Formats: sequence, structure tokens, C-alpha cells
Amino acid sequence: MMIKFRVESLEFRGFCLAAVMLFSTLCFAQADFDAANTAYAEGRYDEAVLGYEALLAQAPSATVYYNLGNAYYKQGELAQAILNYERALRLEPNNKDAQYNLEFAKSRITDNIVEQDFFLSSWARAIRNSLREQTWIILSISLFVLALAGLLLFLLGRAPWLRKTAFHTAWITLLFCIIAGLNAGSLHRRDTLRNEAIITQGVVNAKSSPDRSGTDLFTIHEGTKVEIRETLGEWCNIRVGNNEGWIRLQNMERI
Amino acid sequence: MRYKFLVLLTFLGMALTGFADDVVFKAQAPKQVILGRPFQVTFTVNQRSRDLRAPEFTDFDVLSGPYTSTSSSTSFVNGKRTSVFEQTYTYMLMAQKVGTFTIAPATVRVNGEEVQSNGVRIQVLPEDEQPNSGSKGNQGNGRQNSGSTGSTNSSSAQDGASSENLFVRTIATKTHVHEQEALLVTYKLYFASVDVAQLTNNTKLPEFTGFLKQELEQGEIQTEMEHYNGRNYQTAVLYRTILYPQHSGEIKIEPAKFEAVLRVQTRSQSRSIFDDFFGTYTNVTKMITAPGVTVKVDALPSGKPAGFSGGVGKFTLTPSISQTDIQTNDAVTIKLDISGSGNMKLLKTPAIDWPEGFEPYDPKVTNNFSTTTSGVSGTKSIEYLAIARNAGDYTIPAVTFSYYDIEEQSYKTLTTPEYTIHVKRSAGDKGDTNGDGTNGVVVYNQKEDIKLLGTDIRYIETKGERIKVKSPDFIEYGSWTFWLCYLIPLVIAILLLIILRKQIKENADINRVRYKRANKVAQKRLKAAAAALKANDKNRFYEEIERAAWTYLSDRLSIPTADLNKENITTLLRQKGVSEERIKEMMDVLSTAEFARYAPATDHAMDDLYTATTNLINNLEKEKI
Repeated sequence: MMIKFRVESLEFRGFCLAAVMLFSTLCFAQADFDAANTAYAEGRYDEAVLGYEALLAQAPSATVYYNLGNAYYKQGELAQAILNYERALRLEPNNKDAQYNLEFAKSRITDNIVEQDFFLSSWARAIRNSLREQTWIILSISLFVLALAGLLLFLLGRAPWLRKTAFHTAWITLLFCIIAGLNAGSLHRRDTLRNEAIITQGVVNAKSSPDRSGTDLFTIHEGTKVEIRETLGEWCNIRVGNNEGWIRLQNMERI
Repeated sequence: MRYKFLVLLTFLGMALTGFADDVVFKAQAPKQVILGRPFQVTFTVNQRSRDLRAPEFTDFDVLSGPYTSTSSSTSFVNGKRTSVFEQTYTYMLMAQKVGTFTIAPATVRVNGEEVQSNGVRIQVLPEDEQPNSGSKGNQGNGRQNSGSTGSTNSSSAQDGASSENLFVRTIATKTHVHEQEALLVTYKLYFASVDVAQLTNNTKLPEFTGFLKQELEQGEIQTEMEHYNGRNYQTAVLYRTILYPQHSGEIKIEPAKFEAVLRVQTRSQSRSIFDDFFGTYTNVTKMITAPGVTVKVDALPSGKPAGFSGGVGKFTLTPSISQTDIQTNDAVTIKLDISGSGNMKLLKTPAIDWPEGFEPYDPKVTNNFSTTTSGVSGTKSIEYLAIARNAGDYTIPAVTFSYYDIEEQSYKTLTTPEYTIHVKRSAGDKGDTNGDGTNGVVVYNQKEDIKLLGTDIRYIETKGERIKVKSPDFIEYGSWTFWLCYLIPLVIAILLLIILRKQIKENADINRVRYKRANKVAQKRLKAAAAALKANDKNRFYEEIERAAWTYLSDRLSIPTADLNKENITTLLRQKGVSEERIKEMMDVLSTAEFARYAPATDHAMDDLYTATTNLINNLEKEKI
């Protein structure tokens, strides 16, 4: 009994310590955040950018990414603005302000990329991007549990109507569970491979081969989002719209 | 009284006319003289005078003078007498040294009063070095390119118009300027020892491409003496223009061509003495080419302010507003006067960002420019008129006007103050105040959609509680925790299935035993009931009968006795396909047993019930429910 009590006390102290530490970092961050916001409000956008960058170096946050994007936008750096809005949306896919400003910034870039995907796949991507990976995982597990419960009810139930309902519930929830799981996997791959990038160079010519002497295939401009398919040294095979070509990694930044 | 006043006025008028005919005492001298050559200075007075007191001619030698001469003329034109009188004092002077000198005013006494003349400035030019030296005159040095006559054909020897005697210089005040900085280009004719009768209209000026051109008014051509390249020339300005370079880089001004008519003495073959004496003159036209000039133009420095619209020079901005307290449907005028010198013609009209609720009109621009040798200067007045349509307090934002200051080599920004205009609702403008509509006037309340004035990104998130840092992933995709989250429920489900299945099976077994034993148990109860009937133990009998029925049904239908009631028995029996007749019998037995326990009953009834129950159970047994 005595031993147990001591263990609990130790855990409690550890918890307190962690809470205090978290609180202090948050306070510190809060002051910096306010300072950067003031700089932004007074039009000192370069200072605001530095402030937000410093905050992001401590911990990634959708809000700070969003504000950083704004500060870059005000300085006319569209590519950096788009990049940071995208990053904010990675953390908070339903942040309406970030969505709006991303669309706004995108409307000002040079390239007009028309995705020529089948409409279902663009829908699927939109659905996938509407939630975070963690949310999808939790959703998938919950649906799995629900499906199992339905299956048990189907196997053990006696009333015919109950068994019928349970059976249909089970297979439908199982289907959604699999979809959620696939979405989570897709997002996980996207975030670990980081195979989407924003062009940061004003004008880039995509080459036919990973080589300076390669033929210029097409030109893309600052702010355009590309998909990295393959990396070879400093060269990346990118896909944008229906075009594929090689450009150097230094001309873009991964989201 | 009025008459007197008129007379007074008449006399005053006469006195004024007499005054206008006042003494004029003028000194005249050539503007330029050559060292060592005599020249005349004259003092002219238009009334009889005496006691001329000439100034000290300190820098000049007085060769002779003063000679006094008078002249008078009287003329009648249309019965009106005009008389002109002139008295002239003439001095012959000679300059002692090169430079610019002033001859101080002289005084003279007219009708007992002392009158002063004007002073005269005289420029003394050096003597010609070596007249007609030929070899050196025509070498362009520096930017002052000397001209050259286009044609050096045989006639030039004849008419004496060599390139030293007759040429046009292209004089640019600056050859290294900023973009939009004014420079003056002058074409000046130089001639000596030739007689230029006139210039024809056959002039070919360059295009001045790359410049904005602003010509200077050219009055009558006047000749002046000028010492140039060691010689004294008669000069005449042919053409002057202010140029504003429009782009940076080196801009070339192409050569210009002028045509002059020279009077040349012809020497006939006969060489008679009369020819030599009188001389005969012929007019010879001559093309003169003025050389081109290259102007180096620097681009304006970087760091252009936001309101910069290309103005270069030096400007001031004077804003004014007509009124700040108005009623709806009144006009308000803001006037901006941009004055100064520079590329005035290229100044863009700054725009006023009228607030919503004002109906602005196109600004009215009045230009009052004059072109001088230093550039275009003047005032550009811009009047902005707007009519207030809605009541309220409005702030008209400041208008900024930026320009590049040539003298200080920096950008300057001029700003007007912000004006606050208070607009009251005018009496005639009911607006939406007429809500009750009692006066029968239909007021249409004009609805407006929200007007999008501009688009911008949304503002930053400022609330601190929103800085949520990214929570760490507690289930990482693909990790063993992730799969465990699926595996654990699955295992639990399988275990549950196994356990529940087993239990169900066990239950099923118990039910089967009870089902099989149902008849036996019922018969046992019926025997007990029969015993009770014999013993005439009424309570026990009914209890046994009831129990027999309920237990039998419970075992047969696999339902716990506690869950049984008449309703679910009926439903279950129906489901098992038992006939309505049997169900009714069953219900009768149950009700009879129930009621009889608490009511007095006859032995006969007890016998009947016993038989009925036995028959019922046997029948149900037969029907194999």
C-alpha cells in the first residue's frame, strides 16, 4: 500500500513538471507571437516573417503557418505564401481563412494548371484532404469496432430483423473503415514522402533529362504546385498537370 | 455738383495725356563690340534738353564726342498733329580690354528737371586672332561641336562661304542628364565675312526621337556678335527647343540642315572698273549642316515611392477644398495646384479615392505652362468634383504626389491633408425616414448589394489561444500500435463470439432437456393435483394445476417462467402453429386456475379442470409443439 502510494506521487510530480514546462513554452511563444503580430499590423512584414519563423522552429502550428503565409504575401513573395498556407492546411485541413487565402494567392500566380484527372479521383482527393491523418485513423478504428459489433450481433442475434440490420450495418461500416484506413495511408505516404512541392524560382524550365543540357520541355512559374515523382541527385522528376519533366530541387520547396 | 465732378475728370484726363508724353531719355550702344574697334554710344532724349552729364567711361577710350544733333518732324494724319522731336548726343568710344562692362546712366536737364537715362551693358570681344587662318577653326572640341558647311564644292571658294565663315552650331546645355530632365538645344548660325541675306524655309530639323520636345517661341531673328574659336562672328539663334529624354541610354540627335541665302559679289570676266566699283551681287543658296549630338541619359535611381508617376523637376502642391460641411446632393470640389518646373506635360493626374457615398466626376485639368530656356514651368490645376449622395461623416484619404527632385537628386513626396466632410441630409432628401407612409407618397428604398471594393487576403489570426501546436500522433500509421488497434477489437470480438456461442449452446442444451422433460414434469404435477383433489385440498390443487400449465409452457417454449404472461404465450403458440382452439383452451385453463384459487368452487369444477388440463397437455404433446 505504501509502495503504491509512492509510485502515484512520483507520477503526479512528473505530470506537474510536464504541465509547467508546457505552460512556460506556451507563454514564451505567446509573447513572441504577439510581437510578430504587432510587426505585421504595423507593416513591418520582414520582421513578422522572422518572428513567425522562429516560432515555427519551436513547434509547427497551423495558425503560425497561416500568419507567416500572410506576411510573405504582403511582401509579394507568392511562392512562400502559398507554401505556408499549404502547410497550415496540412495541420488544419478545414481552416477557412487559410483555404481562402490560398485560393487568393493561387489566383495571382502565372501558371494556370488544369488538373485533367477523372472527376472521381479529384473528389477522392478532396475528401482525403478534408481530414487529418490522425482523424482518419481514429475514424477507421472506430468503424472497425462498430463493424465487429454488427457482425457479433448478426452471428448471435435471434430476431431476424435484428440480424438483417446488423448484417447490413456490419458490411457498410467495414467498407467505410477500409476507405478511412486507405485515406489515412494515403495521407501518411504524402506526409512522409513529402512528394508535393511549390516552385520558388520565378521561372523554371523543365528538362527532358536530369541534366543541364537536356531539352527544355516546358516552363513553369513561381508558386505552382508540383508532384515529385522521383529524385536523382539534385534533380527531381516532377509532374504538373499532364506534363512531366526534370527540374532541380533548389528551384522548389517541399510542402 | 455732378457737373463740377465731370469737369474735374476732364482736366485730370488732359493732365494724364500730357504726362504720357513725358520725357524719354535713352542710352543706346551695341551689345557686343570688338576690342580696338571704335563704336558709338548715343543718348537720345525726346525733348529739348541741356546740360548733358555723361558718365565716366572708365573702361573705354573716348575717341570723340559728344556730338549733338537734333531732329524734329511733324505730321498731320486725319487732321491730327503728331510731332516727334529728338535730340541725340553721340560719343565715339573704343574698348580697352576684353570683358563685360557697364556704362552708367547719364543725366540731362529738361525744363529744369534732371532726367536720368538707362545704363548699358557692353560685352567686349577680343580681336580676331588670325583672320582666315583656315587650318584650325573647324575642329570640334568637346561638346561644342563646330559646324561645317555641307558642301565644299567649287562655289564655296567663289562665294567665300567656307566652313569657317558660315556654320551652325548645335549647342546642348547638358549632354549628361537624368531621364525626364530638361535640356535646351540651340541651333545657332555663325557667320563672318559673308553676307547672309536670309534663311529659307527649307530647314530640316531632326526628329528628336526619344525626347519629348517643347519648342521655344522664336521671335524675329536677331544677330549678335560672339567671339568663338578666336574669331568674332555674327550669330543668330535659329531654333531652340527644350527636350525631355524619355528613356535611359545614349540618345542621338541627328544632324539638322538649314539653308541660307548669301549675297555674293559677282566678279565678271570683263573686270571693268565699274564692276569693281559698284559691284554686282547675286543670291546663292547654301545648305548648312549642324552636327548631331549624343546625349547620355541616366535612368532614375531605384526606390521609387508608391505615388511616383514620372514627374521630374521641382514641384509644390497646394491643395484646397471648397467646403467641408455640405448637404446631400451638394457638390464638393477639391483643387490641387501642382506648380513648379520640370516635365509638367507628363505629370499624371493623381487620383482621389472618394469614399462610397460620393459620386465623383472626371477631374478638370487646367494647364498654365510657359516654356523658358530652363524648361517648362507653370501650374497644373486639377479640380476634382464629387456629389455627396448619402449623409454621414466621410474622410477623403490623403493624395500623394511623388516626383524626382533634380536638384537634390532624390525622390520627394508631397501629400495633401486628409479632409473630413460632414454631409447632412438635405431637406428635400427624405431617404428612408418616411416609414409610415401617411402622406401617401411612395418612397422606394433603394437597396444595394454589398459592393466589392477590392479583394485582399484575409487578416492574420491574432487570438493567442488559437496557436495550437501540432499534437503528436498517438497512433502512427503502419506502426504496431496502429495494427494493434485493429487486432485487439478483433480478438475481443472473436473471444466474445466463442464465449457467447458456447453459452448459447449450453442454454440450448438446457432447453432441450427441459423440452423433453416437459411432459414428465407436467404429469408429475398433474398426479400431485390428483392427489390434492382426492384429499380435497383445494388450494394445493389449483396451485399444482397452474404450475403444471405454466411449467409445461415454459419448458416447451424455452422461456423462463418469470418472463411468461398470457400475451407472449399466445404469440409464441401462434408462431409454433398451434390452432386457435387449443390456444383458447389453454387460456381458459390458465384463467380458471387463477380465478378458482381465490374463489369458492365446486368439486365438479375441479374435476372438469383436471380433465381439461390433462387433455390439453396430451393434445399439445400430440401436436409436438
